[in-house]
Amino acid sequence: MSAPILWIALPFLAGGAILFLLGEKYSSYVAGGLTALLSLIALFIPIDAALLLGAFSFKISSAIEVFGRSFEFSAADGPLLAMIYGLAAIWFFGSESSGAAHRFTSLGLMIIALLTASIAVEPFLYAALLLEMAAMLIVFMLVPIYQVPGKGVVRFIVYQTFAMPFILFSGWMLAGVEANPGDLGTTIQSGIMLTMGFAFLFAIFPLYNWIPQVLEESPPYAAGFLLWALPVFTVIFALGFLDRYAWLRNTAQISNAVLVSGLIMTATGGIFCALQRHLGRILAYAAIAETGLFLLALGLQTSNLLEIVFLALIPRGLELTVWALALSIIKRRAFPLKFSDIQGLARKYPIATGSLVLAHLSVAGFPLLAGFPSRIALWHALTNQSMTASIWMFVGMFGLQIAAFRTLAALVMADEDAKWELNESWIQTAMLGIGVVGLFMLGMFPQILQPFLTNLPALFEHLAQ
Amino acid sequence: MLLVAACSVLFISAFALVVLRAIQPEARYTWLVAVGGSMLAFVTVLSWGFQLPFELTLPAWQPQILFPTPIQFHADEIAWAFSISITGLLAAILLTAAVGSVVGTSLSWAGVLLLGGFGVLAVTANSPLTLLMIWALLDMTELAALLRSVNGERNNERVVVSFGTRSVGSALLLWAYIESYTAEAPLLFQAMQSPASVYLLIAAGLRLGVLPLHLPYEPESSLRRDFGTAIRLIGAVSSLSVLGHVQISVTWVNPFLMILALIAAVYGGWMWLRAPDELNARPYWMIGIASLSILSALDGNPAGAAVWACALLLSGGAIFLSSVREVRISRALLVCAWCLSSLPFSLTAAAWTGTSWFIIPFAVAAQVTILAGFIRHALRSSENKSLDDQPSWAKVAYPVGIILLIAIQVFLGILFQISLPQIGNWIPGLVASILTVGLFWATRRFRVFNPARAHWVGTASQGINNLYQGLWSVYRAFARIAQTANRALEGEGGIMWTLLFLALFVSVITGEIK
Repeated sequence: MSAPILWIALPFLAGGAILFLLGEKYSSYVAGGLTALLSLIALFIPIDAALLLGAFSFKISSAIEVFGRSFEFSAADGPLLAMIYGLAAIWFFGSESSGAAHRFTSLGLMIIALLTASIAVEPFLYAALLLEMAAMLIVFMLVPIYQVPGKGVVRFIVYQTFAMPFILFSGWMLAGVEANPGDLGTTIQSGIMLTMGFAFLFAIFPLYNWIPQVLEESPPYAAGFLLWALPVFTVIFALGFLDRYAWLRNTAQISNAVLVSGLIMTATGGIFCALQRHLGRILAYAAIAETGLFLLALGLQTSNLLEIVFLALIPRGLELTVWALALSIIKRRAFPLKFSDIQGLARKYPIATGSLVLAHLSVAGFPLLAGFPSRIALWHALTNQSMTASIWMFVGMFGLQIAAFRTLAALVMADEDAKWELNESWIQTAMLGIGVVGLFMLGMFPQILQPFLTNLPALFEHLAQ
Repeated sequence: MLLVAACSVLFISAFALVVLRAIQPEARYTWLVAVGGSMLAFVTVLSWGFQLPFELTLPAWQPQILFPTPIQFHADEIAWAFSISITGLLAAILLTAAVGSVVGTSLSWAGVLLLGGFGVLAVTANSPLTLLMIWALLDMTELAALLRSVNGERNNERVVVSFGTRSVGSALLLWAYIESYTAEAPLLFQAMQSPASVYLLIAAGLRLGVLPLHLPYEPESSLRRDFGTAIRLIGAVSSLSVLGHVQISVTWVNPFLMILALIAAVYGGWMWLRAPDELNARPYWMIGIASLSILSALDGNPAGAAVWACALLLSGGAIFLSSVREVRISRALLVCAWCLSSLPFSLTAAAWTGTSWFIIPFAVAAQVTILAGFIRHALRSSENKSLDDQPSWAKVAYPVGIILLIAIQVFLGILFQISLPQIGNWIPGLVASILTVGLFWATRRFRVFNPARAHWVGTASQGINNLYQGLWSVYRAFARIAQTANRALEGEGGIMWTLLFLALFVSVITGEIK
């Protein structure tokens, strides 16, 4: 068995099989079970090492070649794969409660497979192509076949497509820079190309205007998945660039540009979030602010960069799952999710509204919740570098908190005679309950992530030094 | 271990009450469980005195290079006094609940015990990070409890406003932590000597729970008296306790903060003095006493801040819980007036040992109004309730609850007198006591001290409403600007605007690199 077949081909084919062979009922369990299994395998079975089970010996080989391109996982990729497939399992199990399991799980598995392939492909610039393919599949997840895509979805695919040539061009130029490091002109050009490519991929300010639109037009659960998957893999892709090209990580101007982009995203995301009156748009701006935090972390000139990035990446998956699931449940009752539509809904959907507010507070860095430790770690590192940057990050997080309070106020402002009811199904209650417990566990005991965090830096050996 | 024991007793009792409510909703012995748990916790906290000081450090967050500050609790004499006060208040709330309904209120008692447990953890927290976590626990518990128990749009909104205001206070503590942070050492309260400690003052002020002014309970609700007292007082003390741990550094902003605190103290005292009853005036009691506590902290007297905070909880608890007033209880409450007088051997004897002499006349004026108001409310006749129609066990339990709070104040007064060597500035206390007698005499004779109820409530809420309206207008103006920006970026010309911004961004970067 080879690792790329196990973690790329198998989920991709499983996604296709679910699309054509399975119905709504079992798809989430099959997809969730498969990804959970893949996560456990990645966690416990080392890649490229022979294992003896009784009389049987087996080994997961590390690489495979397809059309002259190689897909390769090393032993250091194990924790990363475990993290990705573990979080994907949460998304797939939750899809049962969101009410759109079949299309979501089948396409979701294919998307995860393609995104995982983007980590493994060599030469690694081909990752841009795989990211573009994943973005195309995401369109089908966001828009049903019979429906005309909205403005946000169109803008999403346009911007993702813009990103690809910039990344590919920069890769071609970077080869020149490596061959001739003294050529400042080529260096600047490749740097600009790369910056533009990542600006589109990360949807930095003001390229993020498609995100609120998508959250208004599309199913929240699918949109939430998009907001989790793409930025996470883009961060890993960006870390790969920083790890490979020493001049990229040692050029102060590039670090500063990344830092400033992150700050602008975090601050504007937080401020705009506080001023919205639509729950979908609030989620969108919160996700934008959080992506800004990743950029802030990437722009840090510290040896702990990798720990901080991964400390923020893992909770994001859980926060967005809980938030998007709660929003899906609420949307069935309160379309189109404006404050006027959701007023007093906490009495009818207490679990969903409670989970939504907790997930929101977690993104805002509220103490005790999953987002808090990573914000604290980021703040420590940022304060040592720039107090002004810390203040702007504080402004962004504060904006997110204000949005959470406004959402909470709208949800609890019920009439005098409104009674408490429980309208969530048991599976919805269970999924949200598990998610909320996870948020508290990660917030109070971030050391439970330590097994992942210890080994993840090995993936990026130059950055880890 | 002793800290774990005291908090465990409270949490287990709260859990037991919830379970009992689920399996035996009509059980009458739930009151015994609640009182038993609170008394046991009180005795456990009393026993800390034999082992002071002690520490409890939880397993460190990993990776430790990112989280050098531990989650640590530290019990010294100040934290012990706070913990005795909190557990004493819990016992008093549950003992005095005997005169109300003892069936169907077990969930609110569980909430009181939970709040008490978190309160004890908050006053022993030894680092800003620890305190942030405990404050968050307190806020969430309070939010859940209040949302469960109130009805109506306005009341629910007030609950969220209260939660939001407290969270802003927590955010300021977080900022103080960030600003004081250095990579070299773990950041404990003792090490916070930087100007950031001023943020702690503002955080404590915002977290007092006085905004919105009144808890969203109906005036006749029993929850307003017992659960409301727990929420208000424990929340306030858990916030003020931080001032007892930190020496506030001298900065240019301190005189301004002192003036603000003096204005708040005089305003709180004046409103408290003129209020028609003690429950309506509770926010002003808290504003007045908390301002005196903050003044002491600003004056470089953390012990003074701590004793005012204890007085806020204990004297306040005694008067707010005394729903049934008999002559003996009213007279017993007068002992609290002595405890507030800052005379030698009183609880507040350490109040005026700071260095800024110019604040003393104004602070004494505030103290006088608070004291006179306290005596006035203590001697007021009660709301048509009498102990005569209560069962015999309630006739015993109720006064024991009130007297427990008074006894704790006397005990702490003596304890502080022995353990704090700098106690001794009794002149302001003497002046305040003499003036209090005069002012109390005047309250019975001049109408200005006794406004009609409607006038008093109207004035108080009008100012706050204007403040909210002002803030809301600012918010709406910002929202309109944001909407315009969104329309420009998300509309048909959005891509053009976007590309323009991007070109600008690229040119800036290129210029930088060149």
